[in-house]
Amino acid sequence: MSSDIILVIVIGAALAFDFTNGFHDTANVVATSISTGAARPQVAIAAASLLNFVGAFISISVAATVANDVVDAAAITPTIVFAGLIGAIAWNLVTWYFGLPSSSSHALIGGVVGSAVAADGFQVVIAEGLLGKVLIPAVIAPLLAFLAAGASIGIAYRIVGRQRPGIVSRGFKYGQVLSGGMLALAHGTNDAQKTMGVITLALIANGSLGAGSDPPTWVIASSALAIAAGTYSGGWRIIKTTGTRIIKMDAAQGFTSQGAGAAVILASTHFGFPLSTTHVINGGVMGAGAAKRLSAVRWGVAGNIVVAWVLTLPAAAIIGAVTYGVTNIFGSGAIGPVVVTVVALGAILAAFLRRAQQGAPVTVQSG
Amino acid sequence: MPPLAEIVETKELLQTVVFASVAGVGVTTIFSIAIWGAARFVDLSQEDRRVHAVAAAGVAAVALLAVAAAIVIGVIVMTSK
Repeated sequence: MSSDIILVIVIGAALAFDFTNGFHDTANVVATSISTGAARPQVAIAAASLLNFVGAFISISVAATVANDVVDAAAITPTIVFAGLIGAIAWNLVTWYFGLPSSSSHALIGGVVGSAVAADGFQVVIAEGLLGKVLIPAVIAPLLAFLAAGASIGIAYRIVGRQRPGIVSRGFKYGQVLSGGMLALAHGTNDAQKTMGVITLALIANGSLGAGSDPPTWVIASSALAIAAGTYSGGWRIIKTTGTRIIKMDAAQGFTSQGAGAAVILASTHFGFPLSTTHVINGGVMGAGAAKRLSAVRWGVAGNIVVAWVLTLPAAAIIGAVTYGVTNIFGSGAIGPVVVTVVALGAILAAFLRRAQQGAPVTVQSG
Repeated sequence: MPPLAEIVETKELLQTVVFASVAGVGVTTIFSIAIWGAARFVDLSQEDRRVHAVAAAGVAAVALLAVAAAIVIGVIVMTSK
C-alpha cells in the first residue's frame, strides 16, 4: 500500500516536472519564429504545443535509455526515483530563481543518479550508459548544432545573397513555419521521453512492470499531455516579454538555427541519446549568429550556459542524494515522500511569491 | 570499467553527426535554392524573359519538393525504430 502511495507521488512529481519542462522551453522553441515575425506568438505557441504532443509519440528510444541505461533498474526503488525528481525540481527552482540558464534534462538525470548513489553506492550507476549515452552526446550535440547552423547560414547567404531582400526574407519566413514545426516536434520527442523513462523506472522499481520494459501507452500519453500543456501555459508569459528576451536575427538565421537544432535533436533521439534540447537550440542560434558576425552572439550568456551546464549534473545529484537521506529518516514507508513533497510545495510557493514581488529574471531557463 | 572506445557508442554517435549535418545543412541549402529560384522567377518575369523565368520556377518547385521529401523521409526514419 505505502509503495503504491509513493508511486502515485512519483508519477505526480514526474508529470509536474514534465509540465515545467514545457513551460520553461516555450521560449526556446518559438523564440526565433516570433523574433523574425515568421509567426504570430499565439499561433507559434499553439502549434508548438500541439507538435510537442505529437512528438512525444514518435519514439521511445530516449525513454528506454533513461529507464535502463543510466542506473541499474533492479536496484532502484520508487523512493530513489522520488528523491531524484525532487533533486531535479529543486535545482530547476534554484536556477530559475537566480536566473541561471540550466538544463532540466541534466538535472533529472543528475538527481536520479545522486539519489541512487546515496541509496546503494556507486555500483548502481551504469558508467558506460551515463558517459556514452548522456555526457559525451551532451558535449557533442550543441557543438554540432553550432557548426551545422554556421555552415548552413554561410551557404544560404552565398546562394541568395544577390537576390532581393524582400523576397528572400519572405521565403525564409515561410520556411520558418516548417523549421519551427520540426523543432517543436523534436523538442517533444526528446524531452517528453525523459519523463516517460523516469515513470517507467518507477513502475519497474515498484514491480508494476518487468525489467527492460518499454513505457506503457498511458505513460506516453500523459507525458505528452503534460509537456504540451506546459508549453502552452508558458507561452502566454513569453508573449509579454518577447521584445526584451529574444536576440534579433534575420529570417534566414532563424530558419538555419531551427533547422540545425531540429536535425541534431531528431538524429540524437533516434539513437536514444537524451539531450538538453535547449543547449542544442542555443548552439544553433549561436552558430547562425556567429557565422554572420562574432559580436552578434551574447558570449556572456553563452558563458553562463556553460557554467550552469557544468554545475547542473553534480548539483542536482547532491540535492537528490540529500533528499534521499532526509526521506529515509522517516523510514521506508510513504511518510518520508509525503513530508518532503509538502516541504517542496511550500518552498516552490514561497519562491514563486518572492520572485513575483521582485519581478521575473530576464534569462531564459533551459531544458 | 571498459576502455573509453568501448564505452562510447562510436558508430551511433558518428551516424548522429552525419545525419544531423547532412539534414541540417542539406535542407537549408535546398531551401535556399528554392528561394533563389522564386526570386529569379520574379525578376525574369518582370524582364519579360519567360523561358528563363519558367526554368527558375521549375528549379524552385523541384527544390521545394526535395525539402518536403527530406522531411517526410526524416520522420519515417524517426518512427522506424
